[in-house]
Amino acid sequence: MSLKLPVRELRRRPNRFVVATAVLSFLATLLLFLGGLLDGLYLGSTGALRAQQGDAIVFSSDARESFLRSRIDPELRATIEGADGVTEVGGLGLSLLGAEVPGEDEPADVAVAGYEIAPSGVPDVSTLAPGEGTADRRLEDQGVEVGDTILVGPAQSPITIVGWVDDTSYLQQGTVWVTLDTWRAVQNANRPDSAVGDGVVQVLVVRGGGDLTSVIDAATGAATKSLTIDDAVLALPGVAQQNSTFNAIIYSTLTVVLAVVALFFSLLTLERLGLYGVLKAIGASSGRLFAGVVLQAVVVSVIAFVVGSVLALLAALSLPAEVPLQLTPGRFVFTFVALVVASVLGSAISLRKVLRVDPASAIGTAS
Amino acid sequence: MFLAWHEIRRAKLRFGLLAGAVGLLVFLILFQQALLNGLITQFIGALKNQSADVLVYNDQARQNLEGSVILPDQLAAIGEVEGVAVASPLGEATFTVQADGADTDAVLFGYVLGGPGEPTTLSSGRLPEGPAEAVASAKDKDDGFGIGDTVTVIGPGGALDVKVVGIADELNFSVAPTLFVDFDTFADAKRIRGGVGPEVPVQPSVVAIAVADGVDPQTVVDRVNAEVDGVEALTRDQAVAQTPGVSSVRTSFGVILGLFYLVVPLVTGLFFLIVTFQKASALTLLRAIGASARSLVVSLLVQVVAVMAIGSLIAFGLYAFAIQGFSSLGVEVEVLPAVITSGAVLALALLTSLVAVRRVLRIDPINATTGAGVNV
Repeated sequence: MSLKLPVRELRRRPNRFVVATAVLSFLATLLLFLGGLLDGLYLGSTGALRAQQGDAIVFSSDARESFLRSRIDPELRATIEGADGVTEVGGLGLSLLGAEVPGEDEPADVAVAGYEIAPSGVPDVSTLAPGEGTADRRLEDQGVEVGDTILVGPAQSPITIVGWVDDTSYLQQGTVWVTLDTWRAVQNANRPDSAVGDGVVQVLVVRGGGDLTSVIDAATGAATKSLTIDDAVLALPGVAQQNSTFNAIIYSTLTVVLAVVALFFSLLTLERLGLYGVLKAIGASSGRLFAGVVLQAVVVSVIAFVVGSVLALLAALSLPAEVPLQLTPGRFVFTFVALVVASVLGSAISLRKVLRVDPASAIGTAS
Repeated sequence: MFLAWHEIRRAKLRFGLLAGAVGLLVFLILFQQALLNGLITQFIGALKNQSADVLVYNDQARQNLEGSVILPDQLAAIGEVEGVAVASPLGEATFTVQADGADTDAVLFGYVLGGPGEPTTLSSGRLPEGPAEAVASAKDKDDGFGIGDTVTVIGPGGALDVKVVGIADELNFSVAPTLFVDFDTFADAKRIRGGVGPEVPVQPSVVAIAVADGVDPQTVVDRVNAEVDGVEALTRDQAVAQTPGVSSVRTSFGVILGLFYLVVPLVTGLFFLIVTFQKASALTLLRAIGASARSLVVSLLVQVVAVMAIGSLIAFGLYAFAIQGFSSLGVEVEVLPAVITSGAVLALALLTSLVAVRRVLRIDPINATTGAGVNV
């Protein structure tokens, strides 16, 4: 017996598989939606940090890894620049503010970021004049266009947008990359009680080699707290908690997929025991019969993945923009592989029953 | 009834798998509902449980307390609006503090003592009566924020001690320990955080309004928005609902929970439909020897209820266990929501099982005598 039989059954009796496919489709939608939400929250919050072209980010030690509370003055910066292994140091400052956009009724959420070492995709800071900024493309959805002068914060500090950059948003706000002097002007005008002096930045982006974070913190006498870029990303408010919570829900849902497939195919196998007896009696091996069950499980999960993906894409289109859903190719690949693996594992529950079918039972009992 | 139990006992794996799948799905529903409620309470408890009828934001802040600054002339103009009894500054910011010997984050709310913006859920102690006194969020009382504890705000500008004199329920903001202090103490803390001197003025985040007797808060909201430039007034409930993140969290979890509520009955309905197909011969025979359709339907429904009950018990056990890991969110095991959720999924499961019931009712006992096979 070849594997044509299970395929033929799928083609000729599709109704038998419809409900299981429907259930798995909803579960696939759920997995994609959960994953898309996790990706949207993660990517939308961390872009400005992930884009940094450095090996470490240095906070002041009393800031508890908060950009808003961290301050590095020129003296501390000089100490860090002199630390072993440090090859390049650049200041970074971020201010979260609202901005008036020409022609728009609703203000936009912006993160004004002053920088020295250009993050990935952001032009060299020397190309920017005072009051100019490169905007994250996320702001395009809020009506910002190249050439616009947006008025930032209650002090309405003007910034003219001169170009776009992708995937650099910060805490769900579109980043506008400006010179450090422009950032200080914006910060001091709009947050006078958190003003920064000349040469002061919130954090430093450091390039170098060796055990950079330990060396820097030792050099400053623990006046700083240095993190790798990856650790700084996870230190952003809520990011680590979001990842662990959503992943727990996603893996629990995958366990449900496994249980549903196991349930469905064990019931189907029970129904076919007589038929399997006949097939074994005419020479089909247990392995081949089981391969048929697995094949059907894989086909059902692939169809469910396609239907689930379409449903997830439709849901993404119909949801309000405030829902940070971001369906990435990587998430589709993960969900596809996870569904197929869970289906194969689930269908393996039927293996024992297939192995125990006695060909002799075919005589007079198969129907 | 006998048949129902007997079949469950004889097919433990089948029913066990179904009960396990249902248990996991119901657990995920319970867990996410608890997480949603806990997150929202921890995000906006302080806004919800303060006394101002109306809060006025800078209109560029997009209802974000952390991003809002009210300028002095705006504060003065708001105080002149008809229907406003008291308009006073309310500040909010996150600080690094030392509590119980450890550095941690804490949110400080600064309000004018005796004015709008004071906590409304005081559970022990008293409200602040002067500088450097605070009411703290009850959830954090064992972490150095209990009555009599001293919390020290630290920053580039030095340190400021604040003594906890009261505890209030559901007072957290942004999932951090939260302290309500008088506005001048808040301003001092902000100067310490910014490393600036006392000459630097600290602006409030929002204006807290107590409306005059008999005046509808919405009326005051409309008047403030019409008469004062550059601000956005919201009632307390609107401010809570429109806090950035809250509505998106609600919508996101709403979609996820909706899908889960859809999947549970589908899984149950599918299972019992297939089982009914498989038992077609036996059911036909039972009908032929005199079993009523009613008794077969009752047997099916008993199995649905049994599976859902076992699944719900599994779910509650997992839920109670998982919640322990999220105690930092102030999430507690609550029986009533679990019972309501279990009841809802049971009702939905019974509904989808009607397809299987219909199949049972369509069994024709005569088929058992014809040898033509059975057709359900």
